[in-house]
Amino acid sequence: MKEKILIVDDEPRYLRLMEANLIPEGYTVVKAINGLQAVDMVAKEKPDLLLLDVMMPVLDGFQALERIRGFSNVSVICVSAKGEEPDRVRGLDLGADDYILKPFSATELLARVRAVLRRSQRPQMSPEANSLFVHGNLRVDFARAEVYKDDKMIYLSATEYRVLLQLVQASGKVVHSDQLLKDVWGDEYSEDKEILWVSISRLRQKLEDDPRNPIHIVTRSGVGYIMPGEGE
Amino acid sequence: MAESTAHFVQLGPKELQALYAISSAIAREPDLEKSLATIVALARPVLIFDNFVVFAKRESTFETVFARNIGRGRAAEAELAWGDSIAGDVFSSGKKQMLQERLENWELNRLHQHDMLGLPLMMADEMLGAMIIGRFGGPEFSASQIQLAELVADYVAHLLTRAHLVRRIADLEAERRLQTLQENFIATVSHELKSPLGFIKGYTTTLLRKDITWDDKSQREFLTIIDEETDGLRSLIDNLLDSSRLQSGTLRMQKQVVQIDELMHEVVNRTRRRYTNLQIGLDIRSKFILSADPMRLTQVLDNLISNAVKYADGSPIWFMVEWMQNPLIPGLEGHVIVKDRGPGIPAEHVDRLFTRFYRVPGINPQTHGTGLGLYICKEIIQAHGGEIRCESRPGQGTSFHIYLPIIGQTPLSVS
Repeated sequence: MKEKILIVDDEPRYLRLMEANLIPEGYTVVKAINGLQAVDMVAKEKPDLLLLDVMMPVLDGFQALERIRGFSNVSVICVSAKGEEPDRVRGLDLGADDYILKPFSATELLARVRAVLRRSQRPQMSPEANSLFVHGNLRVDFARAEVYKDDKMIYLSATEYRVLLQLVQASGKVVHSDQLLKDVWGDEYSEDKEILWVSISRLRQKLEDDPRNPIHIVTRSGVGYIMPGEGE
Repeated sequence: MAESTAHFVQLGPKELQALYAISSAIAREPDLEKSLATIVALARPVLIFDNFVVFAKRESTFETVFARNIGRGRAAEAELAWGDSIAGDVFSSGKKQMLQERLENWELNRLHQHDMLGLPLMMADEMLGAMIIGRFGGPEFSASQIQLAELVADYVAHLLTRAHLVRRIADLEAERRLQTLQENFIATVSHELKSPLGFIKGYTTTLLRKDITWDDKSQREFLTIIDEETDGLRSLIDNLLDSSRLQSGTLRMQKQVVQIDELMHEVVNRTRRRYTNLQIGLDIRSKFILSADPMRLTQVLDNLISNAVKYADGSPIWFMVEWMQNPLIPGLEGHVIVKDRGPGIPAEHVDRLFTRFYRVPGINPQTHGTGLGLYICKEIIQAHGGEIRCESRPGQGTSFHIYLPIIGQTPLSVS
């Protein structure tokens, strides 16, 4: 059974466009025509991915995303005709996994959908790996794909979890930015530094005591990020 | 006025009373002209003058903003110089000037003895203009009258400054409104352009997918959408071009003789084919002939129809054509009404509907529009020498009234 995708747009022709392209790929498609419906449908239908239009009446995409992130880590791709940087950053900052600009081609849409869904499949650690990883007040339970800070569970989106995992696996070594982008987002994203910055900043907000002086995810200027090893 | 305090002369109770009356009267009067007239009326009994002129500085020249001839001045109006030369002296010196004109036989003819007092109108260190008062037949202005005139000049300077500021604020306000409209317009247009482009790109690339062979039905569906969106894009671009041609006055009407009932039947039939579910009524009460550009008139009607379909979704549309004489709009006897029973438009927006770029706020963002349509309608109707108006009542519907000049009537039975 392939994944379930919720498409949200106030323009019936966009809904039809996305549906027409997604169904032949084997995805189950459910639809909503405004932000309010989208929030409801995420709760009821538990989709694997949301294609969320930004400019909508009743409740716009950003407002909907904010509410959805209050209870769900579902993967989200924002879809918008507004391509200015502040809009893009705002979407990512609210916890979107990716951002597609209208007009888009059918192949671009499908490629992004595949990439985000691939990311959301939580990777299994190799069997010899420890099922628990501890870094200061941070604890990662690989078997359950759960993250704890001071014994309190922290909700991470699929993308955030993957970024963290890359850093944990390389613990004590620098992970290059373009490598992170390729491994987490896919080859086509290797130049998209912005999407990485936003994700790192969100991770720090969630995991660090003082996000401005991080101890778990440390920047190595111009190179990448490192989770410092013991005694560093 | 630093100078006036230097030669301070005690003002009498009558002068002080006049000053008090002037100051309280002009504080209540927002209009420059009326304030100056009040000053003339209140100052004249104590200052005694026959003419009073205010010049304002406009860049390097000065122009008359107010002039009154009273008493003897009125009788001699035709032969009077309005004080241009003394005003010139005030402007070049920046100081108070006195002038005594003594023409031939001045001892016999009072009008040939003219005393003039010119005072600069100052605000801070800036000279705004000059105030000139003149008197026929003497005596010369006394020291206390000059001092009183200087105080009056101070009031006038304040009034000029206030009038200038009021005008400036109104200009800026208008500029700001236009700028906001234009900014919104750019955002709207880019959205309106991107929206059809998004469908064209999306559905074209869908059809181009190599991994799927679409069945005939899907192909037709997608191609129809592409076709309709292309039409939408074209009409948007046409609107943009029309609007800019109308703005620059380069859109020419190709006028010919038009039989209104024929044009209306054509429009209604086409509308029926286009919106198959729309109820349309056509009531032709008289038939008349116009000199008009039929394509442009059709464009106006199409625009009103598409507005009704967009904003009064589901409401029937009525057209009515009649001959009428309206004293308010003489000469425009051809009357066409387009009426819907939609939600109507709040009164505060009705007057601004025809403004370029204006859109009624709070419309569903899914309802496409640029704020150009009704502007174009208005310009086209005006180019025909006609008028278009809107009447709307929230909850009851909207009617657009088009009034056009006609060149003849034909009997109703001929058809």
